[in-house]
Formats: sequence, structure tokens, C-alpha cells
Amino acid sequence: MTEVTAPPRDGRGRLLPRESDPTAPMLQVTDLAVRFKLAKGSLKAVDGVSFRLDEGQALGIAGESGCGKTTTALSLVRLLPANGRIRAGRVDLYGIDLVANDESQMRRYRWREISIVFQGAMNALNPVQRVRDQIAEPIEIRLGKSQTAARARAVELLDLVGIPKQRGLVYPHELSGGMRQRAMIAMALACDPKILIGDEPTTALDVMVQAQILQLVEGLRAELGLSLILITHDLSVIAETCDDVLVMYAGRAMEQGPVSRVFTRPRHPYTQALIRAYPNIRADRRTLEVIPGQLPDLRNPPPGCRFASRCPHVMDVCRTLTPPEVRFDDGVTAACHLYGTVSGDGSLASDPGAVADGAIGAASGPSAPAATADDDAAYGDGIEDEDRSPGEPRSADSLAGDQSRMIDRAAHTIVDERQHGDPEQRA
Amino acid sequence: MSSILRLRGLEVHFPVRGGFGDTLLRRARLVVRAVDGIDLDLVRGEVLALVGESGSGKTTTGRVIVKLTRQTAGTVEFEGEDVSNLWSGPALRGFRRRVQLIFQDPYETLNPKQTIFDFVAEPLVVHGLGTDRERSTKVLAALDAAGLRPAAEYALRYPHELSGGQRQRVVIAGALVMDPDLIVADEPVSMLDVSIRTELLHLMLDLRKERGLTYLFITHDLSLAWVIADRIAVMYLGKIMEIGPAEAVIRSPRNPYTQALVSVSPSPDPPTQGERARRTILEGETPDAAHIPSGCRFHPRCPVAFDRCRVEAPPLFDVGGGQAAACWLAEPGGAGTVERAAPTAEG
Amino acid sequence: MTIDGGTFARRVRSERWRLRARRLRSTLHQFGRERAGVLGVIIIAVFSICALVPDLLVGPFETVTKASGESFEPPSFQHILGTDELGRDILNLVVHGARISMTIGLLATIITVLVGAIIGIVAGFLGGRVDTFLMRITDFFLILPTFVLALVLAPVLREVLGESAQVGGIRITLLVIIVVIGITSWASTARIIRSQTLSVRERAFVDRARVIGASGGHMMRRHILPNVTSLIVANAVLVFAGSVLIETTLAFIGLGDPLAPSWGQILAFAQDSGAPGLGAWWYTAAPGVCIVLVVLSFTLVGNALDAILNPKLAGRR
Repeated sequence: MTEVTAPPRDGRGRLLPRESDPTAPMLQVTDLAVRFKLAKGSLKAVDGVSFRLDEGQALGIAGESGCGKTTTALSLVRLLPANGRIRAGRVDLYGIDLVANDESQMRRYRWREISIVFQGAMNALNPVQRVRDQIAEPIEIRLGKSQTAARARAVELLDLVGIPKQRGLVYPHELSGGMRQRAMIAMALACDPKILIGDEPTTALDVMVQAQILQLVEGLRAELGLSLILITHDLSVIAETCDDVLVMYAGRAMEQGPVSRVFTRPRHPYTQALIRAYPNIRADRRTLEVIPGQLPDLRNPPPGCRFASRCPHVMDVCRTLTPPEVRFDDGVTAACHLYGTVSGDGSLASDPGAVADGAIGAASGPSAPAATADDDAAYGDGIEDEDRSPGEPRSADSLAGDQSRMIDRAAHTIVDERQHGDPEQRA
Repeated sequence: MSSILRLRGLEVHFPVRGGFGDTLLRRARLVVRAVDGIDLDLVRGEVLALVGESGSGKTTTGRVIVKLTRQTAGTVEFEGEDVSNLWSGPALRGFRRRVQLIFQDPYETLNPKQTIFDFVAEPLVVHGLGTDRERSTKVLAALDAAGLRPAAEYALRYPHELSGGQRQRVVIAGALVMDPDLIVADEPVSMLDVSIRTELLHLMLDLRKERGLTYLFITHDLSLAWVIADRIAVMYLGKIMEIGPAEAVIRSPRNPYTQALVSVSPSPDPPTQGERARRTILEGETPDAAHIPSGCRFHPRCPVAFDRCRVEAPPLFDVGGGQAAACWLAEPGGAGTVERAAPTAEG
Repeated sequence: MTIDGGTFARRVRSERWRLRARRLRSTLHQFGRERAGVLGVIIIAVFSICALVPDLLVGPFETVTKASGESFEPPSFQHILGTDELGRDILNLVVHGARISMTIGLLATIITVLVGAIIGIVAGFLGGRVDTFLMRITDFFLILPTFVLALVLAPVLREVLGESAQVGGIRITLLVIIVVIGITSWASTARIIRSQTLSVRERAFVDRARVIGASGGHMMRRHILPNVTSLIVANAVLVFAGSVLIETTLAFIGLGDPLAPSWGQILAFAQDSGAPGLGAWWYTAAPGVCIVLVVLSFTLVGNALDAILNPKLAGRR
């Protein structure tokens, strides 16, 4: 007699795809690398990013433009533009490798397990279709419901995001920016996904509307048990809404960990500089610090740490070896040579715990070189093709790469901590 | 402490053209009251931040000051002279040499067909100032002052060869080249990355010190106003709700709208429980400027509105320390402060 | 650091030209990738050579008395395109006709584009009453039927100016045609340019020019014009093609100059001499094919230019 296996369910009892493994982490990204093919050469937009998302968790991916955060988000749902390719790494949804799947398989997961609100999506609504009908469309197509049922569900969803029924029947141009963004969230929730990705969800909105949207999203999280990935350059949004943060720069992860730790005691010099560069309405000081220099050219990135050319604590090793990911006791991981350099046998040269107090003043090193005319190559008009040689022999970089990958694997098998219920304290 | 700029009763009303149906049914034509009665004094050498959400009228106010938009009522006084009706002639040219605007979008402000040199030199060309040689010197000096070094290299490029931050520096150089006294900056850094923003803000502040400039800094970002402004004026639906020294307005706002804005302005410090509870997230959205509520225009969304607010619009009351708030609660001897009337916070 | 303003000013001037040359080279480079456009250019070049030095190619224009062949000879080794009813070599006629047709096309295009662009830019930029006034006039000319106007104007102008006079080396009859084509074509160019002007006017850099105190003329010259130039060029190319066609029709209905025959005039000759009925197909084919080739080649070039200069189209390649 054939055994009938019960369909897998997650922690909240929701159905999971047949092939999934309910014991595996909800979303596990490992060493993701994405390349864009250009007319000349290719752009290494994401170069070895790893993170994990659990049920009910909110992760913020922070970084400035060009750091690869949007590319990462699009990779999770496999909606990269035509010239983009996932070159390496895994994206595991309950153990299912999304990267290995072909497009038709991917369609089963997209929107139904993991869904996304694109950047500027609220301006991409069809101007000649009523808002309710636009939300009903994916329900009809993906869940195979009738038009009536789909429309009824759409109205429910609109209500969930705070758009009353009559407002749902209007056309997009009759709604304000905030309302349109709510409609986009409703559309993303149409098929009851477990994970919602928001790419710059509040960037174009007024601060009060932003607060409303974030309040809505927090409410949805609690009500529906949604997991969130919020992608934004605005650190403050992440500080307000997310449990964990991943700070990206030039395609790599610089630091990640619980928000309450990373923002109050940042370890990585980039994170420190970024926070100091942010106008802080709650701080007594009214100053802004500058991060000198420019992004490296991602067509030909320099070896070693990507931030080396702008880092106030740069050392010689930073320019040659990729920094190892060092894990601290409080759950923060930082990729920086200040906290230990990988030696020949793969072990860390110093104990990460000892340097964890974030007092970077002790570190010495030559000051960051001023931005040279070469840096302008990143903004070239393409007429002059600046072919910059990487400078160091390949072998050193691959060696460092292998070593940091080893540390990665070690670091990410540790169970992450829950941040709910922690009384919020400021260091 | 002299005022370099004075606005009194400034109004900008746009009539909305009615449709055929409106004319047929003799419905009253709608009027968009973008700016609805503003008094403002700008002190020489200060940075005044004009803060407001979209629809507040802050950009329109800026445009009126630099004479891109015509006011429908009220006066504008610059350096003691009434320039309200100055729309042509040499006097206007003189005005334009001393009052400049920095635009928001560095990608659109530069004509793609113009070299950087031509852009920065244009004001000099338009006003017929200087010989070729003198102009070159001034242009190079302006580019240098804006942090684009070596100036000669940048001058010969086209906009598409520069990054957003570099373009905005070019815009600043273009505003500096005639040595103005007053610069209106309309969201000058909102389209730039965080790390670039700080550089440009530092530049603007340094220039103020070096050249004795006065800035009217228009922004929707209260945090930005906090770090850069001496005084802050908060606008809502075409009127100033509160104005005063930055510390006063941010740390002890006397108008409920300001208080709400401050409470929801995010910061990179993760908020405490207490801070979360004190957040006043207003309901609904800013009404459109063609349908402004009666009485105090904020009353439909105000958490502490009472009867008088619905009927009568409050003037700006002086609450001491150079701070003024347009709220009945701020009336001297009145119902009290915003804090007292605020709903009790838990935790 | 002192910078010598004087040397730099000189450098700016020379650099500006160098930069313009570079951008031109880049555009040409891009154009080179448009195969259809390049083909069009080659065809135009061939006809232009015919237009410039017809004597070198086929000898002097054959008049009645200098006819080199027999009447209605079919194409042969001596007369590649055959002869007409008077025995004139048709290749000779066609090559000389190129000069007439191309010249008319060129001059008519210049008038059309000059008038159309100026009115379009002024109307679009100034707006208000000026715009309304200019557009009413434009609409008037837009709806005038070309040929009716031509039929009325041509004889009147000829009367006024005298039959066999010449202005600047161009015979009056041809001049009349040029003017007539210009008068009937400028309106559509004006509309197109005005439309583009309206959108350029809204861009921030025009606001900036206003803020620094630029006059309307300055803004139109330095900001509007450079940003509509590509549209003007693309439009001019198509206007040229259209002019050749209009001229052909006008000549065919009898408004041409028999002593300086354009291709259209040659077609008229062919018709009058009864060539189609006599089976002398080479007589109509030769000028016909030339007209088609020229119009086609200009259209190809116009399309190629549009593809390069219009950024939205460029993205799809």
C-alpha cells in the first residue's frame, strides 16, 4: 500500500510546495554572484553575498546606488533584465534551489511563495485599467479563479491595505502616490506569498505617507506572518522596521546582523561612515561626515576589499586579500581585516570577540588615498575604454576567496537569534 | 540683523480651467491655492529651511522668490526694495544677478548639448559681463570653488560624462559665478546618494562662510533641515505652520503638524518603545490645494483639534525665543501646549 | 592657483570645435552601422555627382539640333537608355535632369525648413497669443491643396517676373516651382518643430536659463534650437524627398520648364510624345526609376537618422 505523505507545512501551518523541506531555512542565499553583460565586458554587480531569512523575520538590505541590492532582490525572484545572469551561488527556498530551476518551474514559486514590489512600481500601473482589476489579474491567471472570485478577492486585499472598496474601482491616476503604493502591495500579496520583497518601497513618498506605509507593512507582517526583505538606501527605514540588516557595498556584503546591534555598534568602517553620514534628527550633534572617494569600477573591480580606496582604516592587506567574514558574539558579521586576517591554514589570525567593541580608533593604517582621476573611469562616457589591470596575480585573490568562503560556511551554520521581545536599548 | 528678503501676504493662486460641464452648469471654477498667504523674513547670512510635504507650496514659494512664477497677491522685498512688480528691464537683470536658484535634478538642469564651460559662463554671457578672458577666469574660479578640480578638465566636458554629484557641483558653480547674495536651493541633494549629499552640503555651508551667502533651503526632509538650518519654517497647504530656530522647532514643536512630522521622521538610531508610542501617524493624506479645509487647514487631521479650529484660522503666535506657531493651542493665555493636549502615550 | 583666463578662453574655443567634431564623428560612426541608411547615402551621392558635373559624365545637354540618335531607339550599346522622339539620348537627358530635380529639391527644402523651423520654434516657445496667431496661419497653409495653389501661383508669378529672366542663375520657371513647393510644405514642418519645442521648453535647463536672466531670443537660440536640430535634420531629409515628388507632379501637369527639363518634365515629354502607346517603355522608365530611387534613398537616410537620434528607438536595436 502506498504511503500518502501529508503535504509539507511551515511553522504557521501554511502549505508549502511539495518539493520543499520544512526543516530547511525559509530562504537561504549562499554566495550569490550576478553578472551583467555589457557592450564591453561585464559588470560584476553582486559578488558573493550570503544571508538567511526565517519565518516572520524582517531583513533590510541597505546600501547606496550601485551596491547591488536591487540586483540581489531581482535574483531572488529571477526577474533580472535580459543581460543579467546568476553566475554562481544558491538561492534555497525551503531547500528548493531556485537558481537551478528553469523558468516554468520558477513560475510556480514566483508570486505564490515569494513576491516583490518593484522600485517605482506605483508608476507602472496600467492607466486604462481599474486598480481592482489590475489586482484581480494575477489572481485569475495564477490561481485559476473566475473573474468574479478574483475581483472579490482583490477587493478584500485592497481593504487589507487600507483602500476602501469605492476607491478600488478608480483608475490609477486618481489615486495619490501613497494609495498607489498600497495597491502595489495588495497586488504583491494577491497569491498569499510567504516572503514579500520591497525595493525602495517608500523612496518617492512624503515622510508621513512613508510612516503610514511602514505601519501598514508592520501590521501585515503580524497579521499574515509575512517575512520581509526591505531594500533601501535609507538606513532610517531599516532601523525603524527591520529585525536584521545586511549592508552592501559594491556588490559585496560588508556587515550583517541584528539592527539593534549593527546600528548602535557598527563594526565595519563602511557602516560606521554611512551611519555618520546620515542626518539624525534624534541626535544632539548636528554634523554630517563625509565619505571621500568613489565607487570602484565594477567591470574590473580591484582585488581585496572593495571599500579599500575609501576606508579611513585601510591597511596593505586590504588591497590584496578579500577580507574574511568575522562573526561576533552578538550575532553581527563583518567582512573586514581589522578583526582578523586569514592566515595560510585558514584560521583567523586573531580572536574576533576581542576586537568587538567597535572602538576603531586603535586601528592604524595609512589614510585613504584621495580620489584620483582614475576613479572617474567609473563614470566614463564609454568613448574612452579604460582597461584597468587588476594589479595583483590571480592566485592570491582566488586563495583568499576560498578561505573566506570556508569561513562563510562556518559562520552561517550557527542558529540566528530572535530579536522579538528584546527590550530595545541604546548602547 | 537685517532682513535680506521679506515676503508679506504672498499668495499664488492658479485657476483651474473648468470643463464644458462646469460652464454649462455654472459651477464655480476651482482655484488651486498653492501659496495662501505667507509672511517671511530671511535674515542675512542665515540658512532658513523651508520644510513641507508635497503640496505644501514650498517649491512655488521658491519659484516666486526667483521670479520664475508670478505671485497673485502679496509683496516681495529684496534688500529693502519692493521687487514685487519687477518683471522686465535692467532692474530685473540686476535682481537676477543677486538672487539665484539651485535646482533639484542635476540630470535635467544641464542642457545635454552644452559644455560645462558654456553652462557656467552663460550668466556672464547673458548679462554681457566681462571679456572672453575675464569670463574664463571667473568660470574656472567658480568650478574650482565648487570642488571640481582641476577646473580646466571639467570645463571642457559634457554633462553626460559626469556623475550626479559632479553635475550638481556644476549647477552650484553656475549659481556662484555672478557672486549672488541669496541662493534658493530647491531640494539640491535629494536625488543624490547619501555619501555624496554630505559632501555637497558641506560645500554649501563652506561657501556661505566664505562669501557671506544667505540660503533658503527647500526640502521635504526634516532630518536634513535639522543638520543644516539655522531656522526652520514648516509649511502645510500653502501656509506656514511654525517657524523658529531649528532646535526649538525640532525639540519643542508648538504646532501639532510639526510635532507629528518630527515624531515620524526616521533616524538611523533604532527607536525605543517610548519613541514608537509617541509617533503621531496622521490619518489620510494632505488634501489637494483646490479644496482647502475651513478654519485651520490642518484641523481634519489634527489629533488635538477642537471647535474653534474648525471655524477660525489661527495666526502665527509668538511663543518666545524667536519661535512662532500657527495654532490656537499656542495662543498666549490660551488652551495650553501641544504636549498637554496630546493623547497619553503608553510605555 | 592662478589660471590664465586668456589662454583658457582660446583653449575653450578650439576645444569646442574639437568636441563638436568628436560628436559628429560619433554620430557618423553610428550612422555607418545603419545599412539601409548607408545605401541611401550612396545613391544620393551618385545622383549628386550627376547633378554637379553632368557634362563630364555624358557631355553637353542634347538639344533638338544636337540630337545624337534616331527617334525612339530602344536601349542599345550606343544609347544605354534609348532615345526620345527627337532622337536625344535619354541617359543624357536624365543625367542633366538630375541637376534640375536635385537643385529644386534642395532649394525648396531650405525654404521649407527655414520658415517652418523659425515659426515652429517661435510659436512653441512664446505661446499665448503669438502661438495662436501663428498656428492659425500655419493651419491655413496646411489645408491649402498644393497643386491648386501651384496652378494658380505659377502663371501669376511668371507674369509678374517675366518669362525668360533669370535670378541668380536659376530660371524663373524653376524658381516659381521652388517657391510654390516651399509655400505649401513649410506648414507641416512648423507643426512638427513646434510640438518638439513645447516639450523642450518644459525642461529644467530652460528654467535655469530664465532664472539667470536670459532673454527669449537667447533661450530659443541656445537651448531650444540645439535640442530640436536633430528633428529638423530628419524632417528636412523627408521634405527633400517630398519636394522632388511635388516637383515631378507639377512638371507633369505642365508647369515645368521644357528648356531645362527635370525628370518630371521628361516624363511629361514622354507622355506628350505618345511614348507609352508606341511601346517606348525606356522613355518613361528612366526618369521614373530615378525619381523612385532618389525618394527612396532620402527616406532611408531619414529613417536611419531617426533611429540614431531618437533615443527611444535607439534602445530597441
